[in-house]
Amino acid sequence: MKKFDAVQLRKTILDMAFAGSTVHIGCAFSIVELMAVLYRNHLRFDENDPHSAWRDYMVLSKGHGVMAQYACLHQIGWLRDDDIVHYFRNGTKLKGLADAHVPGVEVTAGSLGHGLSVGVGLALAAKMNKTDQMCYALVGDGELNEGPIWEAVLFAAQFKLDNLVVIIDVNGFQAMGPTDEVIGLGDIQAKFNAFDFDAVTIDGHDESAIDWAYQELKNRKDGRPKALIAKTIKGKGVSFMEHENIWHYTRLNSQTYEAAAAELGGQA
Amino acid sequence: MRDAFSNALVAAARRDPKVLLLTGDHGYALFDAFRKACPDQYLNCGIAEQNMVGVAAGLAKAGFHPIVYGLAAFVPIRVLEQIKIDVCYEDLPVTFIGDGAGVVYAQLGTSHQSTEDIAALRAIPQVSIYSPCDRFELTACVEHIVSERRPAYLRMGKADLGDVHGGALTNWTGGDLIPITNTGASYLFVGTGSGVKLAQQAATAIGNADVVSVPCLKPFPALSLHKLAAGREAIVTFEEHSIYGGLGGVVAETLMGKFVGTFVRVGIKDQFSTLCGNYPFLMESHGLAPHIVEDQIRKALDASAQYQ
Repeated sequence: MKKFDAVQLRKTILDMAFAGSTVHIGCAFSIVELMAVLYRNHLRFDENDPHSAWRDYMVLSKGHGVMAQYACLHQIGWLRDDDIVHYFRNGTKLKGLADAHVPGVEVTAGSLGHGLSVGVGLALAAKMNKTDQMCYALVGDGELNEGPIWEAVLFAAQFKLDNLVVIIDVNGFQAMGPTDEVIGLGDIQAKFNAFDFDAVTIDGHDESAIDWAYQELKNRKDGRPKALIAKTIKGKGVSFMEHENIWHYTRLNSQTYEAAAAELGGQA
Repeated sequence: MRDAFSNALVAAARRDPKVLLLTGDHGYALFDAFRKACPDQYLNCGIAEQNMVGVAAGLAKAGFHPIVYGLAAFVPIRVLEQIKIDVCYEDLPVTFIGDGAGVVYAQLGTSHQSTEDIAALRAIPQVSIYSPCDRFELTACVEHIVSERRPAYLRMGKADLGDVHGGALTNWTGGDLIPITNTGASYLFVGTGSGVKLAQQAATAIGNADVVSVPCLKPFPALSLHKLAAGREAIVTFEEHSIYGGLGGVVAETLMGKFVGTFVRVGIKDQFSTLCGNYPFLMESHGLAPHIVEDQIRKALDASAQYQ
């Protein structure tokens, strides 16, 4: 089986969401390919030690998408089958938002606008320690409403953190509606370029394009921090969830679970 | 006191290259010595305190010990959520310095005053809270904090009130109370920060009072206070902080059900400063001028006597 297969990851997310009767399915589905390619080909880590000192950092600042990261950590083996099937049971460790007490999860996020700054600190630490560690910080487009994001962006440029890749999941929605109707973001690439970032825009579900972008941005050691603007579909992979913001809040029932599982197909 | 602070920082940074000083574009002359001695360990993070605390958390996760400096109105108040989530939840070795705590920045107004910082932080798990009264306590607190390598907040208030102690606190067990006088007097005056000087003045004026300094409010040395409080007729707390949730609060919580006697909280009442004025004016407007404090205590003692 292909490691970090996107279909399999979505099935794991679906299983977790059904087992735990949880929400935030759409915002986990939108980042599956971004996470899959990162873990498969770019993020350096020790499979036997989530805390290895030389690891690259994967900072999930948009903590609401954490089930996508759990699915990846499950593939590595840092989470067990029990963690998946018992999601949200009392006394278990996996919460509904990113939590740094979970092996492999670098930051406690979900209060938005926190994780990127911690990621900037990790990238700065790598520079100060003179290591070649990369820091990948994934933020949501809605999260760009938060002021500290822009504090972090200014800081990253000032300190020339070209080992920082800010991945922006542009799925076009935030909690209460389309981003354009809540706090319009305009041309995100132009904004990051204006903040002296080296920014590229890609299709966030095209694994070849994602793979190219990660490699390209890592190779460009020009002193500028990097921005990977990924155009994505909230709820990607299940037709009745795609672009339907209600799946930020809606829990699965037996019918919707079966229908979604059937659409995903792939290996069980 | 500010020279002692600078010296303590330089000493800590020279001992450990992982100690970093982060400032939110504050402390211009204060850090001259540090910048000269340890230029690679100094980071001006700009006027962006929320990001500064997140960056400090990231640095701490990678093995550094950041000391985050700001005015108390901003560090910890503006960044309370970052302290809670990014630092304390992971028990990271980040030290927060809140300068100008209380009403030190008198004429600048409410935005630069901080009389709620202790109360706000006390309810957050993992973080220790220090409030030194003079340069000797400050030096001891910084040394203790650096050796602990856990989340800590150091509250720096009015810095030019002069010494309380006669010399370096070489035998201080980090966190404990420090009796200034302990003669078995009827009253125990308990102060923290600038409140210790106020307590000494009140003790001189009123008489029959011992004075104790509280450099560490959390974890609070409850057992030491119980021992000191035993047999007293009255206990008075003194602080340049709200009477809610600060020293008065923690002493009341500690002694509740154990101490039977008169209890008085001297501190900032539940009000903002609305008028411009210098430090003595602000202190007087909050009822913290020595003559008002003495009057408050005498009235409380007299009222208690009437009921006996």
